[in-house]
Amino acid sequence: MAKEGQSGNPAVAEVEAPVIGPGHTYASVTDKISSIVLTRKTPRAWWIGFTITFLLTMLLLYSIGNLLVRGVGLWGVNVPVGWGFDIINFVWWIGIGHAGTLISAILLLLRQEWRTSINRFAEAMTLFAVANAALYPLMHMGRPWLAYWLLPYPNTMGTWPQPRSPLVWDVFAVSTYALVSFLFWFIGLIPDLATLRDRAKNRFVKIVYGILAMGWRGSAIHWQRYETAYLLLAGLATPLVVSVHTVVSFDFSIGIIPGWHATIFPPYFVAGAIYAGFAMVLTLTIPIRSYYGLEDFITMRHVDNMGKILLATGLIVAYGYMMETFMAWYSGSKYEQYMILNRMQGPYKTLYWALIVCNVVVPQLLWSQRVRRNLIALWIISLVVGVGMWLERFIIVVVSLHRDFLPSAWGMYRPTAWDWSTYIGTLGFFLALLFLFIRFLPMISIFEMRTLVPHPAGKARH
Amino acid sequence: MNGGAVAEFDRFRRRVLAAGAVALAVCAAGAAGNPDQFFRSYLFAYLFWIGIALGCFAIVMLHHLVGGSWGVVIRRLLESGAGTLPVMAVLTLPLLAGLPRLYVWARPEAVAGDELLRHKAPYLNVPFFLGRLAFYFAVWIALAYWLNKWSDEQDRTLRPEVKTRLQWLSGPGLVLYGLTVTFASVDLVMSLEPHWFSTIYGILFMTGEALATIAFVIVALWLLADRKPMSDVLRPTHFHDLGNLMLAFLMLWAYVSFSQFLIIWSGNLPEEIPWYLRRLSGGWGWMAAALLVFHFVVPFVLLLSRYNKQRLRILAAIAGGVLLVRLVDLFWIVMPAFHSGGLAVHWMDVLMPVGIGGLWLAAFTWQLKRRPLLPAEGGY
Repeated sequence: MAKEGQSGNPAVAEVEAPVIGPGHTYASVTDKISSIVLTRKTPRAWWIGFTITFLLTMLLLYSIGNLLVRGVGLWGVNVPVGWGFDIINFVWWIGIGHAGTLISAILLLLRQEWRTSINRFAEAMTLFAVANAALYPLMHMGRPWLAYWLLPYPNTMGTWPQPRSPLVWDVFAVSTYALVSFLFWFIGLIPDLATLRDRAKNRFVKIVYGILAMGWRGSAIHWQRYETAYLLLAGLATPLVVSVHTVVSFDFSIGIIPGWHATIFPPYFVAGAIYAGFAMVLTLTIPIRSYYGLEDFITMRHVDNMGKILLATGLIVAYGYMMETFMAWYSGSKYEQYMILNRMQGPYKTLYWALIVCNVVVPQLLWSQRVRRNLIALWIISLVVGVGMWLERFIIVVVSLHRDFLPSAWGMYRPTAWDWSTYIGTLGFFLALLFLFIRFLPMISIFEMRTLVPHPAGKARH
Repeated sequence: MNGGAVAEFDRFRRRVLAAGAVALAVCAAGAAGNPDQFFRSYLFAYLFWIGIALGCFAIVMLHHLVGGSWGVVIRRLLESGAGTLPVMAVLTLPLLAGLPRLYVWARPEAVAGDELLRHKAPYLNVPFFLGRLAFYFAVWIALAYWLNKWSDEQDRTLRPEVKTRLQWLSGPGLVLYGLTVTFASVDLVMSLEPHWFSTIYGILFMTGEALATIAFVIVALWLLADRKPMSDVLRPTHFHDLGNLMLAFLMLWAYVSFSQFLIIWSGNLPEEIPWYLRRLSGGWGWMAAALLVFHFVVPFVLLLSRYNKQRLRILAAIAGGVLLVRLVDLFWIVMPAFHSGGLAVHWMDVLMPVGIGGLWLAAFTWQLKRRPLLPAEGGY
């Protein structure tokens, strides 16, 4: 391979930006990443950030406690809008998780080695996002202690979950997703946990990492089994990238409500999930990269590639909006047509047009490489996309439900203070978990980064 | 390319051209007796071959954007396929003669008596339809022209900025491809049953086209594999990657088809379900079942095996099968619009793909022999 590349051919010799900064050795990579966990003093900013997000987690617990005591009536949901913030935020959070699985499983199988420095972080983000997402349907049940009724098991009540309902498919899709994501993340951590165990000076820390490392010795047979297990898990996780959000899209499209019943929903939801997920990865990695000085590991090439994926998935989402609008007219169905008009001119029109600006207009800036390589611009765009994807779920859930076939059954939905406190609480919980993750676990895979270091004996890595 | 190969290409080209011309002539004779059937068969066969031309056009742009050695070894094949788009534009003309025979909305008396068709008339009318077709072809031909021209320039000069320019064109090019193919599929096929609609329809066509294209390219690669520049560079990893790509498009096709079916079946709405009722009753239902088995299950299982993917002969056999079921799938999508009573296969349905295919393959071969089989850029 390398020989062909050097055959004096300028088109190939064109050097791509590297995936790791120059001058690194195995030791410097290990030092740099493990020191954040083991030796460096915990920065003041970490304490401030963690305190704030911890308090917000307490707000979440307070909101949930109140909900359990007083009931779902605290929320703004009512007839006709029976699904409100609970489903909006469920879909939003679970969508965010998808970027992690895509980066860790699909990009691994596609041999995209630039994924190495962001996969650990993105996988952690997936786990925390799924944890938040799963809270919402549980809370919406009103009696979360009876959640096990959703599982099909022989019981004396003579009940069985309705297998035709996508809500039941969701139970399996989301729990499988959470389990596989956790296994994938944890197995990926094992060699690094062993590194931390070996490097830790404090005896207590050594024991904790030692237990988590599950006896990893780094022998050849360990590595061989590890590689096999990791590839198998990647294969298992790949269909999950598509299946989970497809099932979520069926929650809507299986019904016949205008605005929900559209055949494009499955691919459009999956693209939207990856869109929101990459936006969140960028929102988080850009500040962390600068703060911890990780520019050598998360290079401009990573940032540029993520900007491109953001643009591509954003265009697919825009295609979805376009097809919905065109087909609403083309169908000739007055309900479909009214649904689109109501989005554009109805009581929630401000949110609809904000959605179009956030998800369709602003991301077009990403066509320019200058914008993709401007960290501040990219960070702002990633925030805008995050907001846009939340608005999209609001429009789909609320605007479709609030005015369906019968004008006499129309109504408005307004979230209550409890809706907001729960949502803000989950944001805090998500960030608090991420703060703990950054502090106690290596946020970049140490051993995988070592494979990117140029081999000391020669220039080629192969 | 050496003289022997050119002669061989010319021989192949003359043969397919002759076969195509004979088949089309027989069909044209049949048109005198059954003009309706002529246009139906023509549309179906035309869709199959233009699908491969458009798929070539899309995948070459995709490859400019993402790179990879799998694409370098098939790039000339893809570029030649995209280069046939002007021929496909000419082959559209016979279709235009039969618009009122094919499309209900092109018959004024039918539109007058149908409220829904009157509603759609601002979109579904003959002048606008022709204008849109002209626009699609203008976009496709112009983009394919520049892609091929710059690729030639890259071969000659090997300047890196040509590569950048190709990438720069391919991003917006893919966006234009997505939009034009979507609306072309609505215009040419969905509007055969003008009361029915589905928002995923364009994606269904794009995936089908990509799948047919990869299958076609694998078969072509197999035919060329013993030739000099190819036999030096082709490695099992190339076949493995192409096999995986075919598997990916196969799964995508199944995913999109199943999603459309599940959503329409469970909604069971009177404006949507007739499309499936027609296609799932009688002989059409058996054809749907066969599609499930041979368009998904069998090739899926075969393509999971690394052994099959790394051997070009086996892979080409699978790809040949996939091309055949693509034809059946298109038949199942197009024809029930005319034969709601039950499965009906006319002899022109069999002969027409050979006729248009002969002309298309001749154009393809002519494009292919103009340049070396491998781009000078290298990176295989």
